[in-house]
Amino acid sequence: MITRRNCLTLAALSALVPLSARAQSTDKAATFVKIVGDKLVAVVNGPGSVAVKRAQMTQIINSAVDVDGIGKFCLGRYWRQATPEQQKQYLALFREVLVTNITSKLGEYQGVTFTMGRGKPQDEEAVVSTTVVRPNNAPTAVDWIISNPSSDPKIIDVVAEGTSLRLTQRSDYASYLTHNNGTIDALIAAMKNQVSQNS
Amino acid sequence: MHVASRFRRLFFGTARLLPAFAVIVVGLQGCATKPPADDPDAVADYEQTNDPLEPTNRVFYAVNNGLDTVILKPAALAYRFVVPGAVRDGVHHVLSNIGSPVQLVNDMLEGKPRRAGDTTMRFLINTTVGVFGIFDVATKWGYPDHDADFGMTLAVWGVPEGPFLFLPVLGPTDPRDAAGFGVNIALDPFTWIGTGPNHPGWTAFTWSRFGLNAVDARERVLDPIDQIKKTALDPYATFRSLYRQHRRAQIQDLRNDNRETVPVWFPQPAATPAN
Repeated sequence: MITRRNCLTLAALSALVPLSARAQSTDKAATFVKIVGDKLVAVVNGPGSVAVKRAQMTQIINSAVDVDGIGKFCLGRYWRQATPEQQKQYLALFREVLVTNITSKLGEYQGVTFTMGRGKPQDEEAVVSTTVVRPNNAPTAVDWIISNPSSDPKIIDVVAEGTSLRLTQRSDYASYLTHNNGTIDALIAAMKNQVSQNS
Repeated sequence: MHVASRFRRLFFGTARLLPAFAVIVVGLQGCATKPPADDPDAVADYEQTNDPLEPTNRVFYAVNNGLDTVILKPAALAYRFVVPGAVRDGVHHVLSNIGSPVQLVNDMLEGKPRRAGDTTMRFLINTTVGVFGIFDVATKWGYPDHDADFGMTLAVWGVPEGPFLFLPVLGPTDPRDAAGFGVNIALDPFTWIGTGPNHPGWTAFTWSRFGLNAVDARERVLDPIDQIKKTALDPYATFRSLYRQHRRAQIQDLRNDNRETVPVWFPQPAATPAN
């Protein structure tokens, strides 16, 4: 009887250890999201010209977002088919496109605030839920997917009202590539065109 | 009586259109070519995309886009320009309040009593205190809105979504949601009241509601849609992905909403004794 109870305690304990480690990394991810979110809100609502704000925003994105990781994910199976030169070109363009897409919306987010929700582990990653409130808009549920939450946290996806930024981007590129015989150079050309139109 | 005749009209109307529709679809060479079997990655992509009617869908996407550019988008822009934001919110609330009965039926069919309770309270509060639904008082009083339609109900019942469809006027959908759309209209008590020359008032109401709903919905997505069309390399594929992700998230929320149905003040069931 006693040994059985001991066994049970041991089993319970061993189950608890990874659980608490995961809970800890989730907490770290939540802290990370809070810090990055506060920084972003400060830039969006802060003083300064649009150019200055864009520069500050780019800095935050470069330090807190795993842009290259998202870029690789978005190219999907074509990443392996690309030559190292194409990969390099693609990643540079991807960064530019992502940063422009985010910073071009700066004006729309004037007056933005956010509240933290709960975090939960998901595979090796952590999901941190927030609610983003913009004036004259319904509150939006935004989930942040954080990779390596305990060692080197980085944002690898943003899920707004159930729609994932990287999944959407990946299906866009995948469809474009399918309709262009899977030639990565065509995608790179289209992205170049996009960047030149926006700047 | 009205319901039956409406159904008959709807059914025979559609049945008459079907051959014409079939001719169009066949004429468009409606099927996407499946990639060769020796390219497993491409086959996996094709199956995941689950859009066998893609060429046809793209034609309707282009048609809808054209209609949107000349009709709906200008109407939405004019609506935004002329009508102040507060009034637009009021209109939106009234429209959503009118939709409460259908929402309630779906909440019940989905087996979600707490959602059905929320919808009932929302309807009662907003129709009275909220002055015919103009003000959404219920949300402030702890009865937030949620989504419910027959497409979601079918999903909860285990009906799979099926391949992607892009229908004229209706836009992005799938067989399950298209069927749900039809049933939703049939479930709406406001559509049971006869329209036609004998009922000019109701005819006007039905069409105003339909038109306002379209303009209201379009106005609310003016900026996001512009943004997608500007930034996506293939807007059709982006809308397809967004539509599916959004529907799946709505259904997931619905499935996860398992709030207790026993009120706190009611004697709680005895806790299972610990041994």
